[in-house]
Amino acid sequence: MLFWILVAILTAAVAAVLILPLMRAAAPLPSRHSHDIEVYRDQLDELNRDREAGLIGSEEAELARAEIARRLLSASAADTTAAEEPPKRLLSSRLAQAFILLCLPAVGLLLYLTTGSPGVPAQPLAARLANPGDDISILIAKAENHLALNPDDGAGWDLLAPIYMRNGRVADAVAAYDRAIRLLGPTAPRLGGYAEALVVQSGGLVTAEAQSALQKALALDANDPRSEFYLALGLRQEGKNAEALAAFRKLAGSSPADAPWLPLVNQHIAELGAAEPNTAAAPPANPTSEDIAAAEELDSGDRQAMIRGMVDGLASRLKEDPDNFEGWMRLIRSYVVLDQRDKARDALREGLNAFPASGEQGKQLLALGRELGIDASGEVK
Amino acid sequence: MIIELGHYALVLALATALIQAWLPILGARRGDRALMELGTSAALASFLLVAFSFAVLAFAYVTSDFSVKNVWENSHSLKPLIYKITGVWGNHEGSMLLWLLILVFFSALVALFGRSLPETLKATVLAVQAWIAAAFALFVLLTSNPFARLMPAPGEGKDLNPVLQDIGLAIHPPLLYLGYVGFSVCFSFAVAALIEGRIDAAWARWVRPWTLAAWIFLTAGIAMGSYWAYYELGWGGWWFWDPVENASFMPWLAGTALLHSALVMEKREALKIWTVLLALMTFSLSLLGTFLVRSGVLTSVHAFATDPTRGIFILAILVLFIGGAFSLFAIRASHLKAGGIFAPISREGALVLNNLILTTATATVLTGTLYPLVLEALTGDKISVGAPFFNMTFGLLMLPLLAAVPFGPLLAWKRGDLAGASQRLFAAAALGLLVAGSCYYAANGGPVLAPFGIGLGVYLIFGAVTDLVLRSGLGKVAFGVAWKRLSGLPRSAFGTALAHIGVGITLIGIVTVTAFETETVIEMKPGATVDAGRYSLRFDGMRQGRGPNYTEETGHFTVSRGGVTVTEISSSKRLYPARRMPTTEAGIRTFGLSQLYVSLGDATNGGGIVVRIWWKPLILCIWGGALVMMAGGIVSLSDRRLRVGAPSRARKSARFAVGAAE
Repeated sequence: MLFWILVAILTAAVAAVLILPLMRAAAPLPSRHSHDIEVYRDQLDELNRDREAGLIGSEEAELARAEIARRLLSASAADTTAAEEPPKRLLSSRLAQAFILLCLPAVGLLLYLTTGSPGVPAQPLAARLANPGDDISILIAKAENHLALNPDDGAGWDLLAPIYMRNGRVADAVAAYDRAIRLLGPTAPRLGGYAEALVVQSGGLVTAEAQSALQKALALDANDPRSEFYLALGLRQEGKNAEALAAFRKLAGSSPADAPWLPLVNQHIAELGAAEPNTAAAPPANPTSEDIAAAEELDSGDRQAMIRGMVDGLASRLKEDPDNFEGWMRLIRSYVVLDQRDKARDALREGLNAFPASGEQGKQLLALGRELGIDASGEVK
Repeated sequence: MIIELGHYALVLALATALIQAWLPILGARRGDRALMELGTSAALASFLLVAFSFAVLAFAYVTSDFSVKNVWENSHSLKPLIYKITGVWGNHEGSMLLWLLILVFFSALVALFGRSLPETLKATVLAVQAWIAAAFALFVLLTSNPFARLMPAPGEGKDLNPVLQDIGLAIHPPLLYLGYVGFSVCFSFAVAALIEGRIDAAWARWVRPWTLAAWIFLTAGIAMGSYWAYYELGWGGWWFWDPVENASFMPWLAGTALLHSALVMEKREALKIWTVLLALMTFSLSLLGTFLVRSGVLTSVHAFATDPTRGIFILAILVLFIGGAFSLFAIRASHLKAGGIFAPISREGALVLNNLILTTATATVLTGTLYPLVLEALTGDKISVGAPFFNMTFGLLMLPLLAAVPFGPLLAWKRGDLAGASQRLFAAAALGLLVAGSCYYAANGGPVLAPFGIGLGVYLIFGAVTDLVLRSGLGKVAFGVAWKRLSGLPRSAFGTALAHIGVGITLIGIVTVTAFETETVIEMKPGATVDAGRYSLRFDGMRQGRGPNYTEETGHFTVSRGGVTVTEISSSKRLYPARRMPTTEAGIRTFGLSQLYVSLGDATNGGGIVVRIWWKPLILCIWGGALVMMAGGIVSLSDRRLRVGAPSRARKSARFAVGAAE
């Protein structure tokens, strides 16, 4: 409320400043020749000074004087013929006032309301640090400041890594897990978390590096369902369907009957059991809705963040390197799976920026949009 | 709340500019004085509003308010305070706001100091200024809003580009913008003259000081930018004929031409139409520079972000103002009365020659800058037009100009005596040739043209001195009289001499560095020594260090001459973790006017490091000359006569009284 009062005061003050000249009594406008006359007189004075100082020869001075005098004369003649104009006041002076009174608040409010964010308070960092409340980014920043000064505080990194993951800062999560492992030594949860972060960072692909971390995690704790799941997923992505099936079955067998991830594991088992051999050659690395759901179940505490992290990782990589057609297709699908249709539309638009609709790949993107029911009309810049 | 208030102030400034754009000019057309005076209040109000808005953005930077997107993108809480402040314009949005601030600042100056201008002229000028301000305010608000917010606010910023974390950012952009935008005043005066269809005597007197002021700032801004690039980028070069540099150089060339033609107009009321055209050209080139740098057409450290909508918006502004102004010129120029006549050999003639060569040079630079862009747009071929093109074309154009410079001040107005002037310059020319000869002798086999370049510089310097000596009559009359005459000379005479001396100094610096610098690229291990110029450097080793927001590796060198240790140099490579970006901090030591420049390359296997060492003789002359040119401009600007624009109130009433008595 105070904000709007201040806005009103500011607008009124500017309006007053602008209207003030219009309120004054009309004054006559001096002929503009009088200005010229003054300038020429000034030049004559200057010439006299120059001659007295010996800066200009008398002959030259005479010539210059004659020229200036000629101009002065013609200006004076014009000045006397041009009668001083009577004070004029436009009929529309009231109109001008009305224009000002309308234009200021109208343009001001219209533009401000479309571009501004009224009600968002200023948030100086010092105040936020002093009173963080539940401001997660400040808590992270505080932890980061602490770790910048004490980079060998392994427990700090260990604590921060899953928080990074939850906030979609996957690259930072990878680095934090890495430091925690180096400082505190490997444990199954750390290695599992590290591998998971790597998987998300590569857009759902279980890379060789992730696999090696997962295997180490299992060596430390043979009963780590997360590691088992991702390893099995990796096998499936590599096309080793039989081995993947066995691994999923083993995980299903060792899981308690009420484990939240069990339905998903069973789904993988069902798909793999029914799958024909040639589907194994399909391109890997697509975080399907099942994978996302699986991750969700496995990491039930961080479910939303997990999904978002995966997709955001892909999105941010595409932002840096938009020349990745497969990536855009994948991202658009992922957003639709997550039911974030707005973001899917944005992704489609950005994808079309990288691959114009006139090209073959652009057409494929448009086709995908149509297939998924995303409206891309008018989105092509 | 304060942030949003700053945002609102900016919007309100746009609304005020819209009012200022139409009501005063309406008043001028219809003779309504109240409406004309509205322009003055509106100009002051817009300035205060934009200044407030800018202060709020600076406040957001200083307090690291990361809920402002612009702050989050370009600041970091650990950054030193000075870089938090300079970071305000170290990015696209903030720099455009600075552009706008300076524009309305100049409008406010016209409003404040323009009391003596004819009312209609002042009102029209302020309206034209407001058109420009409104266009740019709209651009800032719609495509580059520095007040965009982020919810929830991030906890830490992404830091400023490390190359920009330098004191140069505090100086270079504001000076450059003061120059660029300063020419907007000349532009508005020119457009106003075209709209009114007449050029007042006061008009002629006003254009020169404004041009001079903008020119001083632009000179300083370009020189500072060049020195900054020289010490920060670590390539050892001071001018690359980079399109961004050319973008600032073209308005300078056109502005220099304008300065000289305004001189003719002020003194002799000649070249009026030409001056109007030059004023339009100069600011158009400033706008073109803004477009090239801000649209992302060029990739460089200046193109902070690329966004096609911004490019199109600026292009639209460009087309509107340049196209509009030149169309107006085409339609209305014939209404303007042409001024006095003069013989070809006269000071006017010399200044026309200056103008012809400078505009041709501008066109050359423009061609070299735009040709690759146009070619790429049309055919997709990427070519780069570099130093060889500019050295051949621009360099050759400059030779006759520089040779003619000392003649200008020596020739009389209206009708001059070339033979007499040549005789008087004989001493300076002889001195130049003498120095050229001895340089050749000293270098003995060095570049053949270099000594003559230096000779030309010496000739320029002493040619300027000759003018002062002749005017004071030194040697002909008693010393006391000569001194009295010398001190009685108008300041603009000293300004001219100083500016021309500055050109000579810069020329000497350029030629010496180009011809006689040495460059050594060598792999060094601790303990190794290498020679550069008359000095030898010993590499002592590397050291690790840590700054507030970076880590660095510093190489230490001991400089000795003839076995005696003279000084030390340290040169470092920094890494800024927030952006994961490395920078080089060149090690520079100054000896007189020359410098030793050390830049570190990559480490090699076996503990060595690649080091580039330059010996740059007389390099400081390049920027020193620019400083002297600036000093000349300032001295000339302080000339009392320039400030006497038109009637002072008291005198006017006196004249009316006399008139009544008669």
